[in-house]
Amino acid sequence: MQTMIPHVDPLPLPGPVWLFTVLLLVVFTLHVAAMNSALGGGLWTLWNYLRGRHAEHEYSRRLAVELAGMLPTFLAFTVTLGVAALLFVQVLYGNFLYTSSIIMASTWLMVIPLVMVAYYGYYYFSYKAVEGKGIAGCVLAISVCVLLAIGFIFVNNMTLMLRPERWLEIYRAHPNGWNLNLGEATLLPRYLHIVNGSVALFSAILAQIGMSRMKQDAGYGRWLVQRAALVFAACTGLQFLLGMWLLLATPREIAMTLLRDPLTGGVFGLALVTVIAAMLLILLGSLAEKPSKLVSAGFGVSLLTLLLMVCLRYLLRMAYLKPYADLGGLQVQAQWGVIVLFVVLFVGGLGTVAYMLALVMKCCKTAVAK
Amino acid sequence: MNYPYWQLGFPGGVLIALVAVLHVFVSHFAVGGGFFLVATEARARRTNDAALLDYCKRHTKFFALLTLVFGAVSGVGIWFTIGLVSPEATSTLIHAFVWLWAIEWVFFFVEIAAAIIYAKTWETLSATEHQIIGWIYFVAAWMSLFVINGILTFMLTPGGWLEGHSLVAGFFNPTYWPSLLTRTAAAVVLAGLFAFVTLPKDGAREQVARLGAKWMVAGAVVMPVGLWWWSARLPLFSHLSLGMGVTSVTHALRGGVGFSLLALLLALVCGAWKPSWMRPPVVAVLVLCGIGMVGAGEYLREYLRKPWAVNTLVYANDMRAAEVETIKTNGVLKSAKFLPHADAASAEYGRDLFVLQCGACHAAEGYRGMSRRVDGWDAAFAADILQHIHVLRGTMPPFAGDEQDRKALGKYLAGLNPEWHLTITEANKLEMGKKVFDSRCGHCHTVNGSFRPLRGTFEKATGAQVAEVFPALGAMSSNMPDFNAPADQAEALGFYIAHEANLPLAVKPAPMQMPTGTNHSRMRRPAMPGAQASLAQEVR
Repeated sequence: MQTMIPHVDPLPLPGPVWLFTVLLLVVFTLHVAAMNSALGGGLWTLWNYLRGRHAEHEYSRRLAVELAGMLPTFLAFTVTLGVAALLFVQVLYGNFLYTSSIIMASTWLMVIPLVMVAYYGYYYFSYKAVEGKGIAGCVLAISVCVLLAIGFIFVNNMTLMLRPERWLEIYRAHPNGWNLNLGEATLLPRYLHIVNGSVALFSAILAQIGMSRMKQDAGYGRWLVQRAALVFAACTGLQFLLGMWLLLATPREIAMTLLRDPLTGGVFGLALVTVIAAMLLILLGSLAEKPSKLVSAGFGVSLLTLLLMVCLRYLLRMAYLKPYADLGGLQVQAQWGVIVLFVVLFVGGLGTVAYMLALVMKCCKTAVAK
Repeated sequence: MNYPYWQLGFPGGVLIALVAVLHVFVSHFAVGGGFFLVATEARARRTNDAALLDYCKRHTKFFALLTLVFGAVSGVGIWFTIGLVSPEATSTLIHAFVWLWAIEWVFFFVEIAAAIIYAKTWETLSATEHQIIGWIYFVAAWMSLFVINGILTFMLTPGGWLEGHSLVAGFFNPTYWPSLLTRTAAAVVLAGLFAFVTLPKDGAREQVARLGAKWMVAGAVVMPVGLWWWSARLPLFSHLSLGMGVTSVTHALRGGVGFSLLALLLALVCGAWKPSWMRPPVVAVLVLCGIGMVGAGEYLREYLRKPWAVNTLVYANDMRAAEVETIKTNGVLKSAKFLPHADAASAEYGRDLFVLQCGACHAAEGYRGMSRRVDGWDAAFAADILQHIHVLRGTMPPFAGDEQDRKALGKYLAGLNPEWHLTITEANKLEMGKKVFDSRCGHCHTVNGSFRPLRGTFEKATGAQVAEVFPALGAMSSNMPDFNAPADQAEALGFYIAHEANLPLAVKPAPMQMPTGTNHSRMRRPAMPGAQASLAQEVR
């Protein structure tokens, strides 16, 4: 089987493995947060847009219009942050990712036009949502469905890259690249876990947004916090069930890593604790007559949970690929000069974005004050 | 050999080209258009021109929709596509330049954030603040070009990187600065061109039309300087590819110049002189000219890099140069990890080899189809040709495989057309001779042309004398295949060559030296035709 794995690039790794790993985990966490906002936000918007067409659901209509303007931006940052994640994962696991991508190349490449369709659909909806009629709802529904399809393709590839023993068989069946990894037992639970998780996380984000709206319109803010908290709790409960399904579908030797490896088990345990804590905090905070800061704390903890889940995903990937990949054995020739330059520019870039956001916030505050 | 090969039914390079041309077209607009927007906004505010400012707002919406969605996502599309078609080349570039790519991503991130804010804050930010965001956008976008240009030009001219893997030498390689100048100028041209797309019906119409024309002219003045500088820095093998007179290269050159001149003419006439003539059909032609211009440039850039994907490291068919000899010794069967048919005796094995080694640039039929190129070949001749393919055609990578592989691929190639059964008579001898020449010799020789002419060798010879040479061809030069055509074809071929070689010449041919696949990346100027290699010289 080892001979099945494409050999690693003859050029040495241009930086230490730990640095690429940290960067991958950071940008991937941010990518997932943006993706959850784009997908979970899309589902939230669609539901509230349809509901808001009835006069008695004014808050739903208002929420749909408010979210409509955010959806293209969520998708923009999903793509932008995804590029960075793709870059760093190629450095560490390129020989696995390239192979699985080529095996399902035709399907994989469909992601690009599909993202464009979803993206333009979101823009269209953002321009038309306020009118509350016409085909805007249909366009949004198409965009959301397309995003769901993209997620499915991604899960197929991300699971296929972990299964070298299946590569040759699938490739020979259809060398034209019209393949998926449908024989994978974890495929469906993993996909549903991600979709449900995106609704859960965006609900936590919405609860936080609701907190900020309390100052301008207490009724709307409370409605938003409470509704988001309920959905968050429901999705988190469902996430436990999906998680158990995923665990049962995971090959035994990989699942046992959760018990055998202290780091993996520790991250898993901590993630369970934080997700329960986030659920309790958001629920308790939202139940009060005036939603308290517990909601904000719950939002913060749910972001921590996301980071822990991303780390767990990475550790399980390492367990899957342990027989085939030896990251520790890779030749490293760190390009420290340009690494420092990258860090400086990265900090500068973040500072520039923060400066631009500060300008926007300042003018928003001025507008509200007026 | 290392990775599976995506059998998408047509050359993978064509797919890369399709995605790349559209992306390059929009992404250069994203750079130049950002500059155009912020400069025009500054002008409108300075002159207190409400109509022009209104145009800027409308243009921003179009700009954001095109660049943020199509531009950004098609850029990811390039990543996806090169990883699928050329994983080895992509991996090489990633390992050599991952930090530069990361830096480029930082600028991309700032660029996207700035574009979104710029588009959304026309009514909310102050004039100064809004323009600051615009300038941040433009600087980030141009810096993104500044960084990616180093990686793109490295692929053709790796320069000093080859000696010690110096990042600086690889980045600021011989074609870096001319390419940056050319791309920046192209971005300015496209900024002007796209200004016409959102041309208002009234108000600032004339002003915008003239602005668009001015921007196009400004870019068009600089672009030839950049291209001339770039061509002066090309490696020898690229110059030779240019000089071979390949039809598609000639078409790309003429097309590129033609599209540029037509676009410029339309901009001057319908933009600067008579803005009322700048109607949607004219704008559509302008946009098509822009795509044509970029397409021609990208085609040439790709073609001139052949046989390489990354000069001296990875061939255009994604074969690592360092692995070719090992594969020749061990054979493809032992080297390739993902052969769909692992039985060398099977009929499909030859097709697998074709897809694996030739599929990046060729298909059996259609664009760059092989069937018309191998018409008249038999299996033995095809297998023999494969042995020398990189020498005979300088733009081709060497065949990587053992004798069994060559024979299998040769058999597949020969099977693409029905076997020839020529009826040669005295009356059609010349015509049949030409047919045999085109099949057996014409891929690497002309009789009187500039490409390895045979005239010098066979002038004053009779057909029979020419034909006498054929049985010894394989022995005369290691780069010539054995001649194994039937006797009547040999006779017709000899007759044709002798006939052509003895025709009076209007202009003396200028034979040229052929590339051999060796690296010439740091040689600035090739010694173009002078001391040349005719067939006779090569044989000696």
